Amino acid sequence: MNIYKHELKTLLKSTIIWALSMTALALIYFSVFPGIAEDAEEFKKLLGGYSPSIRALLSISLDNITSILGFYSMIFSFITLCGAIQAMNYGMSVLSRETRERTADFLLVKPVSRSKIVSAKVLAAFTMLLFTDALYYVSAFVMANLVKTSDYSNKLFLMLNLTLLFIQLIFLAVGLLVSVFFNKLKTVLPVSLGVVFGFYILGALLVTGENVAARYFAPFKYFDYNYILKNGSFDGVYLVISALIIAAAVTASYLIYTKKDIHAVS
Amino acid sequence: MNIFLRELRANRKALIIWSVSMFLLVLSGMGKYTAYSSSGAEGNVFNDLPFTMKAILGIGSFDVTKMSGYFAMLFLYMELAAGIHAALLGAGIIAKEERDKTTEFLIVKPVSRNAIITSKLLAALVNIVVINIVTLVSSVMMVSAYNKGEDITGEIIMFYVSMFIVQLLFFTIGTALAAIMHKPKAAGSAATGILLAGYVISRITELTDKLNLLNILSPFKYFSYEKLVAGEGLDINIVIITLAVIAVFTFSTYRYYSKRDLNI
Amino acid sequence: MNVIEIKNLTKSYGSSRGIIDVSFNVEQGEVFGFIGPNGAGKSTTIRTLLGLIYPTSGRAAIFGKSCTEDPEVRREVGYLPSEVFYYDNMRVIDLLKYSASFYKKDCTKRIEELAGIMDLDLKKKIDDLSFGNKKKVGIVQGLLHEPKLIILDEPTSGLDPLMQQKFFELIEQENKKGASVFFSSHILSEVQRLCSRVAFIKEGRLIKLEKMSELQDNNYKKIKLEAKNDIDKDLFSLEGVGKLEIKGRIADFIYRGNINNLMKIFARTELANISITEPDLEEIFMHYYSNEKV
Repeated sequence: MNIYKHELKTLLKSTIIWALSMTALALIYFSVFPGIAEDAEEFKKLLGGYSPSIRALLSISLDNITSILGFYSMIFSFITLCGAIQAMNYGMSVLSRETRERTADFLLVKPVSRSKIVSAKVLAAFTMLLFTDALYYVSAFVMANLVKTSDYSNKLFLMLNLTLLFIQLIFLAVGLLVSVFFNKLKTVLPVSLGVVFGFYILGALLVTGENVAARYFAPFKYFDYNYILKNGSFDGVYLVISALIIAAAVTASYLIYTKKDIHAVS
Repeated sequence: MNIFLRELRANRKALIIWSVSMFLLVLSGMGKYTAYSSSGAEGNVFNDLPFTMKAILGIGSFDVTKMSGYFAMLFLYMELAAGIHAALLGAGIIAKEERDKTTEFLIVKPVSRNAIITSKLLAALVNIVVINIVTLVSSVMMVSAYNKGEDITGEIIMFYVSMFIVQLLFFTIGTALAAIMHKPKAAGSAATGILLAGYVISRITELTDKLNLLNILSPFKYFSYEKLVAGEGLDINIVIITLAVIAVFTFSTYRYYSKRDLNI
Repeated sequence: MNVIEIKNLTKSYGSSRGIIDVSFNVEQGEVFGFIGPNGAGKSTTIRTLLGLIYPTSGRAAIFGKSCTEDPEVRREVGYLPSEVFYYDNMRVIDLLKYSASFYKKDCTKRIEELAGIMDLDLKKKIDDLSFGNKKKVGIVQGLLHEPKLIILDEPTSGLDPLMQQKFFELIEQENKKGASVFFSSHILSEVQRLCSRVAFIKEGRLIKLEKMSELQDNNYKKIKLEAKNDIDKDLFSLEGVGKLEIKGRIADFIYRGNINNLMKIFARTELANISITEPDLEEIFMHYYSNEKV
C-alpha cells in the first residue's frame, strides 16, 4: 500500500542508525566478556569465605557473568532501553507527523479512511522495528558464538532477544496513544525520552523483588531474564498484560484518531 | 529583556517537570543505599570484586558501602539526566524559531541576531541553574537522611559544581549544533546522540584500563570523581580547559547563527 | 444529484462559534463561489465538508455521501488548500506520484500536462521552492486525477498574474469537461469572472445566496479623482452616485449605473488624476448590508 511504503521510506534512515547503534553496543559488551568471565571465575573461588547474605547479594551476578547467556542477560537491559526509545519515537511520530509537518490537508483529504491511514503507519513502524530486531539478532548471534566459553541454548538466546520486541511493541503502542492526545505536537524527542527513561528508572528502583504490585508499572521488568533462563519460558501473566496494554492502546488510538478534528495549519 | 522573559515563560512547564523528575531520581536512588551499606564489615567484598565486575554492576571504582562512594555512583545518573536536559534545551531554544516557523516574526524585529541569542542563552542559563540547585538540594537532604557516616555536604557541592560545568558543555554543544546545522530540527537528536555516545564511552572505559584515551570524548569522565570522593576537590586545569571549550561552542553559536541563511 | 449538499451545518469550537446552521447546495456543473470576511467560517465549512473536522450538528455531503462515513467519495474530489505544505525531502514528481497513487488511475500524462501549463519543474525538491511555486504543486496535486469536484481555497494567492490566468483557464476547461467547482476567495474579480452563483458567509452564518448576474447588477465602482480646480458641489449630483465626498480638488465617491453618464462629466472636467477601482469584498459587504440601495 502506498502510505505504508511511504512511511517505510521515511523511517528507513533512523532504523539503520538504531540497528547499527544497538549492534555496536552489543559488540562492545561481547568483546569484554572473555576477560570478565575469567575474572569472575577467579573471584567465585574467594566468595566461599563470605557470609551467606553477601553471597546471596552477589552470587546470582557471579553465576551470570561466567556464562554467556547470564552475561547477556545482565547487559541486555541496556540494549532494550535503546530499542524502547526507538519504538516510542516511532509510535509518537508516525501519526503526529501529518500535524507536525502540516501535511494533514494533503493526506487526510485523500480517498482513504482514517483507520486505513493508522493501520498503514502502525504496520510500517512495526515492520521497521522487526527489521531492526532481526538485524540485531543476527549480529548478536554471531558475536555470541565468537566469544562463548561454553555452548549455550539457542532457544534461550532467542527467547531473551524476543523480550526486546515485546517491550518495543509496548512502547510503540504507548507512543501512538500519547501522540493522538496531542493536537499540536512540536517535538517528539523530549516526551519520548522522558517517558522511556521514566519507566526505566521506575523499573530499576521500585522493583526490588518484594513489592510485586510495583512490577505492573514497570514494563522493563515484565520479562525477568533469570526466570527465562531457569524455566525456558516467559512469565505468562506478563505476556498477557503486555498483549492487553498493546491491544488497548492501539484500539484507543484508532478510535481517537478517527474521531478527531484535524485543525487547519497553525 | 522581552525575549528573555518570553523564553522563561515558554520553558516554564518543562522546567517544572524536569525539576520534579530530578528530585524523584535522587529520592529513589538514595533509597537503595541501605542495601549496600548494611553489609557491615564484610562490605569490603565490593571493593575486592574484580575491576571488570565492578564496572558491570555499575559500582566502578567507588566504595559503595560508604555514603560518599555510593553517592558518587548515583551521581552519574543525575549527570546523565541533567545532561540530556541541557542538550535538548540548548538545541531547542535555538532551533525553535525555525521549527515553529516564527523566524520571520522575530528576526525582522529591531534587534540584532546576537542580542536574540544572548537573551535565549541567559534564559536557558536560568533553567540550567534551577535544575542544578534542585538536584543539589535534594541530594543534600537525602544524603543526610540516610547517612550514618561523616558529613559530605562539601563534597556534594563540589560534585554539583562539576555537573554545572558539564551541563554548560552539553548545552553549548546543543546550541552550536542548532546554529550550524542546515536542518535545525535535527539538532536535538544529534546533541542527544553525542551525549549518549559519551555516556556509553564512559561505561566502556570503566571496563578496561587500556581504553583510557577515549575518555577525552566523554564529558562524564572529565572530572575525576574518585579524587573528589577522597576530598581532593576539582582539578583546576580540567575546569579551565572545559570552560574554554564551552566558550568556543558559545562563540560558534553566535557566529554561525549570525552568518546563517535562516530557513523559512 | 447535487454535487454538494450542506444542510443545517453547525460547528462550534467550545464556546467560540465556528459556523451556525449553514445550508446550501452546489449543482452539477456549477462554478460556485464562497465568500466572506476573515474568520467568517469559510475554512470551517470546507474542512467539515471534506471530513477533516466533525460537525456539531447537521450534515455535509459530497455526491450524496458524507466524507467521514464514505472516504472513498473523495476519489472524485480535488482539494487545493490555502496553505500548502508537503513532506520534507521530496521532489515534486515524487509527491505528485504519491498523490496519484491514491486514486487508482494512471495520472502520469495528466501530471506532465499540468506541470507544463503551470510551468512547474518536476525534478526540483519541494523544500527549495518559493511559496508561489509550492502553490503550483498544490494546484497540480489537486487536479491530476481529473476530479469531478474541485474545491479551491484561496487558490491564486502567491501566483504571479500570468499563472493566475493560466490557472483560471485550467479551471474553466475542467468545468467545460463537466467538473463542478467550489471556490472560496477574497478576490471579487475572480469570483465574478468564474462563478455562476455566490454564497456570502459572515460571522458563521450564510447571509445570502445569489446568482452572479444579480451581483453584477448590484456592482459598483469606486472613483477617486483630482481636478485641476476646486470641484463644484453639484458636479456629481447624478443618479447612481453615492457616498460623495468633495474636499477642495479631490472627489471621492461610488457609482452604480451607466458608466457613460459618468464619462460625460469627466470629459467636461479638467482632471489631474483619476482612479477607478472595483470594490473588494469587505466593502461590498459593508456597503451592501448597511443600506440596500445606493
